[in-house]
Amino acid sequence: MSVPPAAFLAAGTILFVIGLVGALLKRNALSIFLSIELMMNAVNLLFLTYGRMRGDPSSHVIVFFVIAIAAAEAAVGLAVFVALFRSRQTIEVDRVNLLKW
Amino acid sequence: MTAELLLFAFAAGLAIAFALAMVVEKTPVRSVLSLVVTFFGITVLAVMLAAPFIAAIIMIVYAGAILVLFLFVIMLLNLNEEAREKDSRPVQRVLGLVSALALGGLLLGLTLRAGKPPVEPSALPGRIPALDEIPLVGRLLFSDYLFAFEAVAVLLLAAAVGALILSRRRMD
Amino acid sequence: MSPGTFFLLAAVAKIAVVWAIMLAALLPNLVWMERRGAGLIQDRPGPNRVGPFGLFQAVADVLKMFLKEDVTPLYADKLLHTVAPAILLVPALTTFAVIPFGSSIPVLGREVKLVIADVNIGLLYVLALTSVGVYGLVLAGWASNNKYSLLGGVRSGAQVISYELSMGLAAIATFVTAGSLKPSAVVDWQVQNVWNCIPQAVGFLVFVVAAFAETNRVPFDLPEAEAELVAGYHTEYSAFKFGMFFMSEYANMIAASAMIVTLYLGGWSLPFVPFTGVWGGIFSIAVFWAKTLAIICVFIWVRWTLPRFRYDQLMSLGWKVLLPLSVANLLAVAWIVAMKGPA
Repeated sequence: MSVPPAAFLAAGTILFVIGLVGALLKRNALSIFLSIELMMNAVNLLFLTYGRMRGDPSSHVIVFFVIAIAAAEAAVGLAVFVALFRSRQTIEVDRVNLLKW
Repeated sequence: MTAELLLFAFAAGLAIAFALAMVVEKTPVRSVLSLVVTFFGITVLAVMLAAPFIAAIIMIVYAGAILVLFLFVIMLLNLNEEAREKDSRPVQRVLGLVSALALGGLLLGLTLRAGKPPVEPSALPGRIPALDEIPLVGRLLFSDYLFAFEAVAVLLLAAAVGALILSRRRMD
Repeated sequence: MSPGTFFLLAAVAKIAVVWAIMLAALLPNLVWMERRGAGLIQDRPGPNRVGPFGLFQAVADVLKMFLKEDVTPLYADKLLHTVAPAILLVPALTTFAVIPFGSSIPVLGREVKLVIADVNIGLLYVLALTSVGVYGLVLAGWASNNKYSLLGGVRSGAQVISYELSMGLAAIATFVTAGSLKPSAVVDWQVQNVWNCIPQAVGFLVFVVAAFAETNRVPFDLPEAEAELVAGYHTEYSAFKFGMFFMSEYANMIAASAMIVTLYLGGWSLPFVPFTGVWGGIFSIAVFWAKTLAIICVFIWVRWTLPRFRYDQLMSLGWKVLLPLSVANLLAVAWIVAMKGPA
């Protein structure tokens, strides 16, 4: 390929770091969750790149499973947020601190 | 500057730009939309990596179902802007950004240095022929990864039931 | 010339043909067809003032769309308000990239298949586009800052994602028999065997009902119903953006009809007629568009005949009736194909 695989790896790593920054710096629980989804997708990209470099189709299968698990996690996580909002009327992680002094 | 390099630059640039937009945006709805465009960029990159099936699956499942779920929950909870912070903590912000950049540089250096595969790809049997991976993936799913496949099916069922129960309104 | 440039030129020519037939010829005249068809069913003339038989009604409508004042509601998210119709229009138009609208034409010694992009994942591409189209609906409702729009948008979005499941599963059954995910492979299978609407009648029915729901046409157009929701998700839209919604509904209808014809009604083929050579290719294009037009007439006919569903009836139909039917259809077809053994 005329595009070096290092370029794909760099793109995936940059996306992962952006997702990590978002997960650490945002206060809205939904935004944190979105950043986590971005991290997972960046890892998908890295898996696909390595799979292409090695000529191994099992990377596609692993990415398939990652996507399925992300779907399950999103469903349950959002249900938790909805329940949290119903009881606390807020979804910011700074305010959900009843167990702290 | 071949067409492939231009396409890669466009897709990667789109993905990174809108990922930054997602992190910077204050409104959750715009964050979700920026993420949709990011996923579109990742889809184009996946097609360039000879994985059109995975690219379509990313659009259908991730951008078309999971993010729509996010959007519905945002509308259900009526989340608007993030409130203005009372204390802006500038020192911690700068420290956070610097350490994020440092981590990014570290990870980038590591991945780029480890880029050379240990085995020459053309020597491996079962190489992915370009753009024809669907029968291969199907066969792998039902032979080597059968247990994982069934386990993920049970996991999805458990997640669906769990989501239903967790978001039920108390009747008291 | 090299195969690369030949492919590029052929693709550009095919795109030009599809856009010329679809956008220039079919889309404006659909408006006229709908209005005259409505008049016919309701025993009244329909538009007959603008031009002979009212044929220039479409021109009058387009002029109206361009010249009206563009209103954006106060406190609405201006960027999303403007972008939402575009998000709805693009998938409707780009579905045509994978639909085979003819057999093949020999040009300069090479056979040019009459599909714009014969990708390996044809069906998944169409499903991905319908998944992205949901955003247009939901955002139009959200960005209008109006509770009726929001309700209409959310309901419409939920309707589309519910029915796209059944639609996808019913379509997959046709691809299982054909053995490949390319729509042109399905058409080739139907050319060699029988049209898919006969052995897979259940799947055909499910797909057609789901297509009605996907395109927000009666009897599933509760999100746009006047009496219930003012105008649903396009309440706050006027002039050109409303024109885009309007156009996207008709473009969606044309795309859905084209998919029905390709998957279940034999695509561009007629039974026992071989399509060879240049004239065969052109004739196959004509056959395809004639069949698509017939299905569009069925869409219009049903719109002015049936009453609309209530929203809970609509959702229960999608999840409790169509989804089990399409899964059963897929299981039966897969079992039969597996029993026959590897081809």
